[in-house]
This record gives sequence, structure tokens and C-alpha cells, in this order.
Amino acid sequence: MSETEAVRRRLDRRTVLKVAGAGGAALMFSSMPGAAPAAAAKRRAYVLVIDGCRPDEIGGGRMPTVKALRDRGLWYPRARSLPVFETLPNHVMMMTGVKPDRSGVPANEIYDRSLRAVRKMDRPSDVRVATLIEQVNRSGRTTGTVLSKEYLYGVFSARATHRWEPFPVVPISGHAPDAFTMDAATAMVKQFDPHFMFVNLGSVDRMGHMDLTGTTLRAARTSALGRVDNEIKKFVDLLKATGRWQHSLIVVLADHSMDWSTPDKVVSLAPLYDADPMLAGRYVIADNGGADLVYWTGSASEKTAAIATMRRLAMSHDGVLAAHDRAATSWLRLGARGGDVVVFCKAGWRFSDPGLLDNPIPGNHGHPATRPIPFFLSGGHPRVDHGVRTAWASTIDVAPTVGAFFGIAAPRTGWEGRSRL
Amino acid sequence: MTDSPALTDGTFPRRAVLAGGAAAGALALTGAAQSPTEAAANRYFKHGVASGDPLPHAVVLWTRLTPTAAATPGSGQGPGAHGTWQVATDQAFRHVVSQGSWQTGPRRDHTIKVDATGLAPARWYYYRFRYRGVSSRVGRTRTAPATDASPANVRFGVVSCANLQAGWFSAYRHLAKRDDLHAILHLGDYLYEYGPGEYGYGQGNVDVRRHVPAHEMISLADYRRRHAQYKRDADLQSLHARYPFIVTWDDHESANDAWSGGAENHQPAEGVWSARRARAHRAYDEWMPVRMNGTAAPGDGTRLFRRLRFGKLAELSMLDLRTYRSKQAAYPLVDGSVSDPDRSIAGDVQLAWLKTSLSQHRALWKVVGNPVMITPITLGGLPADLIDPVNDVTGLLPADGAPYNVDQWDGYTHDRRQIFRHLRDHGVENTVFVTGDIHSAWAAELPADKALYPLTQTVGVEFVTTSVTSNNLKDILGAPRRTASLAVEGILTAANRHVKYLNFDDHGFSILDLTARRAQMDYYVVGDRTSRTAGATWTASWATATGTQKVHPVSRPVSAG
Repeated sequence: MSETEAVRRRLDRRTVLKVAGAGGAALMFSSMPGAAPAAAAKRRAYVLVIDGCRPDEIGGGRMPTVKALRDRGLWYPRARSLPVFETLPNHVMMMTGVKPDRSGVPANEIYDRSLRAVRKMDRPSDVRVATLIEQVNRSGRTTGTVLSKEYLYGVFSARATHRWEPFPVVPISGHAPDAFTMDAATAMVKQFDPHFMFVNLGSVDRMGHMDLTGTTLRAARTSALGRVDNEIKKFVDLLKATGRWQHSLIVVLADHSMDWSTPDKVVSLAPLYDADPMLAGRYVIADNGGADLVYWTGSASEKTAAIATMRRLAMSHDGVLAAHDRAATSWLRLGARGGDVVVFCKAGWRFSDPGLLDNPIPGNHGHPATRPIPFFLSGGHPRVDHGVRTAWASTIDVAPTVGAFFGIAAPRTGWEGRSRL
Repeated sequence: MTDSPALTDGTFPRRAVLAGGAAAGALALTGAAQSPTEAAANRYFKHGVASGDPLPHAVVLWTRLTPTAAATPGSGQGPGAHGTWQVATDQAFRHVVSQGSWQTGPRRDHTIKVDATGLAPARWYYYRFRYRGVSSRVGRTRTAPATDASPANVRFGVVSCANLQAGWFSAYRHLAKRDDLHAILHLGDYLYEYGPGEYGYGQGNVDVRRHVPAHEMISLADYRRRHAQYKRDADLQSLHARYPFIVTWDDHESANDAWSGGAENHQPAEGVWSARRARAHRAYDEWMPVRMNGTAAPGDGTRLFRRLRFGKLAELSMLDLRTYRSKQAAYPLVDGSVSDPDRSIAGDVQLAWLKTSLSQHRALWKVVGNPVMITPITLGGLPADLIDPVNDVTGLLPADGAPYNVDQWDGYTHDRRQIFRHLRDHGVENTVFVTGDIHSAWAAELPADKALYPLTQTVGVEFVTTSVTSNNLKDILGAPRRTASLAVEGILTAANRHVKYLNFDDHGFSILDLTARRAQMDYYVVGDRTSRTAGATWTASWATATGTQKVHPVSRPVSAG
């Protein structure tokens, strides 16, 4: 039985509540035993992640609600995602406030040396430090997670007081469309009113991945932008209509942005490595779209030479921006799980490993071109300032920001981010 | 030896007024009475005072001493001299916060340049030089914000292309009247190398004022004397005394269309180019309030590209696009050399340095002080009889219809591709190129792939300021403004949809205002260049909103304060 399956069985033994969503569909929430609706304290914090949203898309005319929230809130236009610029590591950074060498989650896909297999980092035990969710729980408050992607549900799973399991999940994409996700978020607010709720809206990212017109028209992507804006409007309207707005902090951000490539702009390192007598059969690549994590599986004595060869061969390929010796590149902060060599592609390119057809999707992220993210604070609580800050901000700032809002101190393992209140 | 018959007749330039129509170049000046203190200051410090390259705790201060009547610029005459300088928080110098001594002499043409340190960030200061008990004019300057500060705004006056023979520097005067700026960006062609009759006002190249020396500047003495003449201009003196300058050179500080191995306006009979350029650079280092090679000391190097930080709001990267560039392509479409990867406009070292400036993300706005235009321009459908006049102004239209000006980034597309790709690859946002050179005003977006615009990512924007006086399209055509130029502007913007604003007609200056929400360029035009008292009017404003890499029109300029 996998760890994820074990979590689900454990969840099944917990309180399960079926709630009718706005669209008439049944929404299933699981809660910790004995969990009650939130206490009388009115202060609320909501983190809304518009997965994969580019900062320039907010001002592009398709997202009037989000733009208005940004313009009237506290905006950090220098905000950045952190390596590897993927969903799982950056959501984990949001909730832990530390970088991957400490959080334990450096990428969506890693090579698990104990399993000798590439796998997704979707296990609760993949996170090595306390999360904000648990901290808020320990403070006597209640928490909720409404995460549209199955693997996000996996990694955060049973941490929150109240949880929504993404449903219905679109085949292939593995996510629940935003309409369902926001339906669940609003239902959770109405039903459980958690003090803190963590929401991932996945459709902008998923439509971006699949958008064959991404390099030009971005037709599907643009449509998703309008829809998520409308869903966020519903959420804001609910807060205002129910008197919650003036007690609320809303952190709106993305985990990474998005870049598109055409089928001729593909980097496949495996053929190069297979042709090298030192590397052949003694490496593994974890493909993360815009980043390849390469793991040396040969002898320790040859590791230094192997890393040099991996980097040299990677840099010989068109479309490769950089090939870093992970351990020697201090700013990456990925930890050993992040591989031995981290290869980033250029804008307009993608990795497809081990074969040229293994990554057919046009929209990708993980490389530095997808680093800029929207990041702003909104809500009607007096602690939410207004204006534009030129300070750096990043995904690791979410936990300290929400912590500061609730007066919760950093965990023993500390936060590396800063409160952006 | 005198600087200029018009400006060294014993009167004080600030009091100078134009007696009559000046288009023919025959000027008469009259002056009001001076106080003894002013007279003494004018005797010793007749070239004014200046400051530049503001850092959070330091600023360059400049003046030129005339210790004896014989110690004229470029003469090599006159004694060594020493004196003091002071920086105070008040105009009366009751609160002096930094001071020191200086030494000068004929080896450096009696120029004085010090790096005043120990100053506080984002503060106004007053400074002066003293010699034999006589004080110079008091200058005002301002330090940059602390590197970790978040200033509400940073505002620059932006100028380029000031040809003294083509008219009066009213743009400088109007900038000096403002009290809302933090510094002046001078993007090059601060002075011109030509002799009288070679490049002046309008179709006839009439000299509104005549250059000194009365021939093309070639020798060190020539360059020094020409600098000295410009520094005697009352409007320029006022602006220098009021704000710190941040300068770069373009070609005319040495010779027209300069490149690393020569210049269009350099002939073999004029000697070895490298020697001539060294003389030009030496005079520039002596006469401009700038740190070359990172210091205020003249003669220790000529590296001009440098960065200046304005807190977390902006980092300014000033480029030198003349010293390291390959020769301009003569026949771009024929030899295809404009895209030759072995040719460079910036040089490998500077290009790598610029990439670092852009991707280190030290500030919100990555502003590039860019002497020549980087926006790609493709042309088509322009009537043949308009090509030559447009070329005279901008060089944009090679007679064979090639879609680029080989003197600007269009002639070095490999370098441009590297920069644009770097911006994309590293997710760099909010890059603003601020440019001069082509005597016209532009606002444009920078498409990653011009052919796909607008269905392509834009990697930054460019604002181009027009000339202070140098001839523009209507001057070359001899046409009234907003007549013949309109057709050219229409064709250019139609063929280049990423160009959103273009004004080929006017002279003037611009204001670049940076806030956390947007970068806005206000375009001002000045009236008749032959008039010493020409007015200035606002004509357009364009801005780029933070995070967009697009430009949009703005209905009004920022308040002048």
C-alpha cells in the first residue's frame, strides 16, 4: 500500500461531510475528528494560488477582479518563484517558509534513490519541516485546504482541519476545474469557516500546459484567465456579503509562471548521455518540463568527472540555458534530492526526457523564464496595507506573512521568508 | 586665446540676452552690472560648477579654474594651483558636511574634479569651490537613495544632441527651472566636433552660434576648447549648477559615426584614430562630472559604462556604444554583416556586464542609458524623395531600402538578439531603454520576435528623447512642423506596429519619472532654436505599467513641482 493510499484510508475513517455545492454537485469534505467550525475570533486569512499565472496576464484585460484587488492592495511587483520553478516545491515553500534543501521538496519529479525510480513528490512525508497549516492548528485555530491538483492534495493531505479532495478531476490534467475548486472553497467558508484556508486554482496552469497556441494567441490560456477571475470575484463577493471581508487577509500569488514552446524546440539529454561511455546506463533524469534534474548513479569515485561531463554535454545542446552542479551552486538550495546536475532550458524551449516524445505539452515551467509571479496582499483587514512595495518577495514569504497576521511565531525549524504585511 | 567672441567679451553669461535675430549667427550680447563677488567668481570659475554620478554617500563635483588670464582652455598655460571645496546642507554653508582640497594645473587643463564622500542618501546638498578667498558659484546636487531604500519616485530630466551651432539650449534652461528632478540623464552628443558652417541650423547649416575653435576638433587643445565653450553656455551652466548629471557619450564627443577603429568624420590626414579618440576621451574625463573607470581622477582609464542604483526602485546602466563597436556595415542587405555574430556594438565585456545588470534583479526598474536606438525598425513604402531627408536626421533609411540603421542596434542584430533573449530566458521584467541620438521622440515596445508582433512576447520598452537643438526631419526638409513629417511617421509606425509614438519634428527634452507602478516619459518641445528665450510646452506622455512590457499613452505630464 502506498503512502498516499494509506493517507486516503486514514482520511476515510475521519469525519466526512457531504455538502451541496453552488452548482448542485455534492462536495465531499473530510475533517479531523471532533473538529468544530471556527471559534468566534473573526480574523481570517486566505491564500489563493492562481497556479501558473504570469504577472503580465493580470494587467492584460482578462482579469479585472484580480487586477482591482492588486491595485487596491499591497503589490510586490518584484516577486519571484524559486527553483525549481514548479508547483510542488513552491506550494511547499509557501506553507513551510523555507527553501527546498530544508523543506525536502525540490521539484515536482525527482529520482528517489531508495526506490530507484522517478516519482512525484506528493507524499506527506516528503515535507520534512512543520507547515504553516499545522502551526495554525496548534494555535487553536482551524484550517482548510482546497487544492485543485491531486498531487497537492497528496502532499498536504491530512494536515488541515478541513480538506476538500479535488473532484471531479479532469483526466490527464489531474486537476479539478476552477469552478469546482472555488465552489468547494466557498462551501468550506460557509460550512466550516476556517481561520486559514489554502486554495490552489489549477485551470490557468493546466490550460497553459495544453495550449497549442501558447507561443502566439494563447487562446485556451486566455479563456482560463477570464474564468478564474470570475471565480475569484465570487469568493470576494462572498466575503463581502457575509461580513468577512473587513476581517480578512487574502494573499494572491502564483507558484510559477508559464512559457510555451513549439515541437521543434525540444531538448532531450538522454541520447547525448547514452552515447557517452562514462554516463551510459549510470544516470537518471527527472524531467520537470523546463528543468531536467540529472542524477549520477555510478560510483562515487567517478562522480566529479561525471558531473562535469553531464554539464558539458548539456551545454552543447541547443536550447539549454545553464547546467549547474547542484551541490556547488549555492543559490539553488535544492538539497540532495534535487539531483547532481540541474539543467535549465531557454525561453521557448522544453525538456523531453528520456525520449523526444515523452513531453509533448507546449506549455512548461521550471526554467528561469518562468520565475516572475504575481504576489499581492488584499482583503479588508486593517493590517493589510495598500500600495506597491519594491522589496523582493517570494513564495517562501507566505508562511511568515500569514504567521505575522495571526501572531504565530516561526516554528523551531525557522522561516527563511519574511512577512510581507 | 578666447573661448568665443560671443561669450567671452567680459560679460557674465547669465546676464546675456539676445539683441536681435540670431539665425544669421551675428549675435550681440549685453550684460548687467556684476557685484565684486560675482566678478571675482567669474574670473576664476568662469566655466561654472557641475556635479554628477550620484551615489548614496558620494557625488562627483566639478569646476574649472582660470587662475590667470593666460590660462585659457587648451592653452597649456597657467600655473599650478590649489584650493578647497565644501559641501553643505544649506546654501549659506553654515552646516558644512564634507570638505577637502584640490590641486590642478595645465596638465589637466585646470579642471577640478573631486569625489565628495561622507554624504547622506537622498539629500540635497550645496557645494562650492574656493580659490584665493574667492568662492565659485554655489551648485546644488543630490545624492542617490540608499541601496535598500524604496523611494516613492525617481525623476530624471532626459536630454541628448545639443549642437551649439544649431541654436540656443532652451531645453536646458527649462529643465533648470524645474524643482522636481533628481538628476539629468545626458545620453550623448553633449557637444559636436564640427567647425563653423559644417553643421548648423536647418537646411542651410546656418550657425546660430559659431563653434570654437573655428574648425573641426581634432587636437587635445581643440577638444578642450570646445568643451570650454559649451561650459560657458548660460543655460547649460544653470542646469549643471542645479542638478547632478549622469552622462554617456555618443559619437560627436569624438567624431561622427565613431566606431572602435575610426569614424565617418575622421580622415587619414587627421592622424591616427586611436590617438584622436584618446584625446577626446581625455578632454571628456577632464571636463565632465563623471566617474570614468569608477573614479573622479582623470587619466586613470576610460571605461564609461557603469551602474547607478536608486534604491530598490531603479538601477541605471549607462552604456558606451562607441568605444568597442565594430565598424558599421556599409551595405547591410548585400553583405549581411549586420547579423554577423563576430560584430558587436557593445563589445563582449560590456555586453556581459549589461546582461548581469539586467538579470541580477537588484531593483524594480532596469533602466538602460542607451546612446542609440535598440527598437528594431523595418521600413517599407516610403517615397524615395523622403529617404534622404530622413536619413540625414536618423540614418534610419539606407537608400537601398534596407530595414535598419546600421549605426544603431539595427546594425548589430546579434548583440540585440543576445540582450532580448537574455531578458526572456531569465524572466527579466521592467526593462526600460532610454535613448537619444536620432533627434526625434519615440515610445516603443521591444518585441522578442518582431515579425510576430503583437502575437509575441515583449521584453521591454524604449523611450527616445529628441534633440536639444540638432536638426530633425522638418529642419532638413525645410517644411513646417506637422506637415511632411506626418507622412513619414505614419509609414514608419504602420510598418512597425510596436512603435507607438513618433515625433520627427520637435526639439526639446523629456522627463522620465519612475514609480513602483509605472515608468512615464513626458515629452516637451521648445520653440524656435534661434531664440534665446524660446518657451517649452508639453506635447505627449507615454508610460509602461509595471510588469507589462507595454507602453500606453498618458493624458498629462507629471507635475513639475
